Amino acid sequence: MEFLSDTVVLSRMQFALTAIIHMLWPTLTTGVGIYLVMVEGIWLKTRNPDYYHHARFWSKLYALNFGIGVATGIPMEFQFGTNWAPFSEAVGNFFGSVIGFEASWAFMLEAAFLGIMLFGWERVNPAIHYLSTILVAVGANLSTVWILTASSWMQTPTGGEMVNGKFIVHDYFQAILNPFAATSVLHMFFATLETSLFVVGGISAWYILNQRHANFFAKSFKIALAAAIVVAPLQLYMGHLSAEQVYLYQPAKLAAMEAQWETLPAGQPANWSLVSLPNEKTQKNDWEISIPNALGYILEFKKDLSAPVRGLKEWQPEDRPHLVGLIYYCFRIMVGIGFFLAAVMGFSILCWLLGKFSAEKISEQRWLMRAWMFAAPLGFIAIDTGWIVRCVGRQPWTLYNQIRTVDSASHIPASNVLTSLTGFALVYPLLLVASLYFGSRIVRRGPDFDLPVPGIEIDRPAVDTAPGEFVPDERPVEAQQ
Amino acid sequence: METLEYFLPQVWFGILGLFLFLYVMLDGFDLGVGILSLTSDDEERRGLLMTSLSNIWDANETWLVLMGGGLFGAFPLAYGTILTALYIPILVMVFGLIFRAVAFEFREQANRKFFWNFAFGAGSFTAALGQGFALGAVLKGINVDSSGHFIGGTWDWLTWQSVLVALTLIQGYVLIGSAYLVWKTEGELQETHYKTAKIAAWTTMLGAIFITITTPIFYESARSKLFEPPLVFVFAAIPVLGILLVSRLLSSLERREERAPFIWTILIFVLTFLGLALVVFPYIIPTRITIYEAAADPSSLVIMIIFIGFLIPVMLFYNLYQYVVFRGKVSGKAYGE
Repeated sequence: MEFLSDTVVLSRMQFALTAIIHMLWPTLTTGVGIYLVMVEGIWLKTRNPDYYHHARFWSKLYALNFGIGVATGIPMEFQFGTNWAPFSEAVGNFFGSVIGFEASWAFMLEAAFLGIMLFGWERVNPAIHYLSTILVAVGANLSTVWILTASSWMQTPTGGEMVNGKFIVHDYFQAILNPFAATSVLHMFFATLETSLFVVGGISAWYILNQRHANFFAKSFKIALAAAIVVAPLQLYMGHLSAEQVYLYQPAKLAAMEAQWETLPAGQPANWSLVSLPNEKTQKNDWEISIPNALGYILEFKKDLSAPVRGLKEWQPEDRPHLVGLIYYCFRIMVGIGFFLAAVMGFSILCWLLGKFSAEKISEQRWLMRAWMFAAPLGFIAIDTGWIVRCVGRQPWTLYNQIRTVDSASHIPASNVLTSLTGFALVYPLLLVASLYFGSRIVRRGPDFDLPVPGIEIDRPAVDTAPGEFVPDERPVEAQQ
Repeated sequence: METLEYFLPQVWFGILGLFLFLYVMLDGFDLGVGILSLTSDDEERRGLLMTSLSNIWDANETWLVLMGGGLFGAFPLAYGTILTALYIPILVMVFGLIFRAVAFEFREQANRKFFWNFAFGAGSFTAALGQGFALGAVLKGINVDSSGHFIGGTWDWLTWQSVLVALTLIQGYVLIGSAYLVWKTEGELQETHYKTAKIAAWTTMLGAIFITITTPIFYESARSKLFEPPLVFVFAAIPVLGILLVSRLLSSLERREERAPFIWTILIFVLTFLGLALVVFPYIIPTRITIYEAAADPSSLVIMIIFIGFLIPVMLFYNLYQYVVFRGKVSGKAYGE
């Protein structure tokens, strides 16, 4: 239990724990935010009250997730100062500014218009309400842009240089548009959207399977599916581009992702390892199943490599990532889920085209609905494993090739970090369980169809048929004919 | 260039002061309402208290995130040093804010609301306590080496002065929370908070007087600054103005005015804030590191003015717009339902 007295290790554990759990909620709010824009837009266009009730129902889940996302996000920001003060001081010029941009461009926009989106249905006109929903979604996704910009810059720090232990920026736009930025932003954007679409689709599938409001939820299911047609393949493509960038800019990380200890020379075919048992002590894989020639096709779409793939042994042990097995398997889990989701989507499209999603038939597709329910949580696992690959693979650096992790941690007693880590380890999982419990309650209760639809006066037909005041006919019976 | 290196840190000191003030004022009444909810034994009443905040608390809390990000970018050295020195108060605040925030979401869904009611009140109290200790510790001074890095101990922040500041800040939050409730509620609930506002006005003032008297006695560096003209006149004027404002507040409460108490309270907060800023300036880590020493590179400060500074009016506008949309008294279960 040596690590219990190691401030750096404990601070890393704390950051990893809080990041891995925190990330789950913004994932949903960024993606579901876009879904809400689609649903409300369809409502405004068609005036079909079903879509209005969809907007109200899914925004309840949005509110729940936003609240916990904020609660768990604030500690993330403060950790840079409390646990990583030397890093903060060294990179504040750029990294700190970007964290400030996130708060002012993105978070404030989302927080300010969320109140109107959730509670303002009766207080503002539909156009303003729709604008608020759009701004909430824009705000949420701008957060992705800025956070991923900051994170990408830690992977490929450009736009300046280290002077006396501080990063001085020469060109802000070069730093913002660092080599990783665009691909990473898009990879994460599609990840949150895809995950959210499969959550919406999975919950809809649950209702359809249980024959509760099946027609109503067939609508949300189809919206999610229609959007996933575009998103799932694009996400595979973005994943490919990201891997290619790792190959170009962080070869040591790529070697860890592939558990590649020896260098593969150029001009030769390269096998792709499917399952293995990496051993850091002996610096080789104890056991392995690999697919012949596949790595060449993955990296360059051809059998023979045109450039060498460097193995881990090319770096000194202190300069290369550890936890090779973790990186290797997290990468495979992420990729596997990406392909699985695309396959579920592709099969669903086929069923749709074959007319199996008509009102009478959709609840008969039991296996497909079960597949969607099974797929609902997978996106989260893919995102978390992806981030483990990204961040553990960046080690031993916080700022790639510039600042080491050991030099980044605050000089504070390990007992302080142990206390806070224990607190987070107790509270964050509790919040996760509570949000799953209360989220599933919202789902089990189902949508509230009694909510009045704005612009339509409930129970009052267009022609006034309300009984007027009763005036007794006082004419003689004969005259009443 | 020289004037720029002088001018830019001052601009950022001003902007961060504004963010901090907006946070203390806006989330201050949220936290105050939360603390007051601990005294309420009636479910319907607690529901009303939380409804009065449900659409605004996250926008209000954002000013803290903004202030954190701004400090990180504009004064990275101060960000690292202050947060490291205040490890425990920050942690206390962060956990308080977590419980306050999730209470809003979970209470609404829960059948048994007891735990989440308590989480809302206790979370608000703990968050305020952590902030009070942090403020007190920064004013008291943080132990740093010549390059501005923290070299003190884990418990340095805990002194009788920081306890005093923490208690006063909590009272101040209760005061502004009461004034907010007087403004937003009616009937019996409003009547209760006329009373809590009055009590909190007295306790806050006593705390403030005590802090004002002890500051020049115990802080040598502040003393020399405070007792030299022309600042001495400003510092003499602040307590006088403060007492004047508190008396206006008390008489507006006496007259059962609805909005005036909130406005007087805000003015009291503004005055206190200006007083503190004058004591602290030009230090960012009081009496050890100035804003010029801790500032980021001038190019960073300029780019941050372009990316953040120009958004301030926009952010103020959409916060204000929210208050306009949800104007009027709080009633019923939730807004819009």
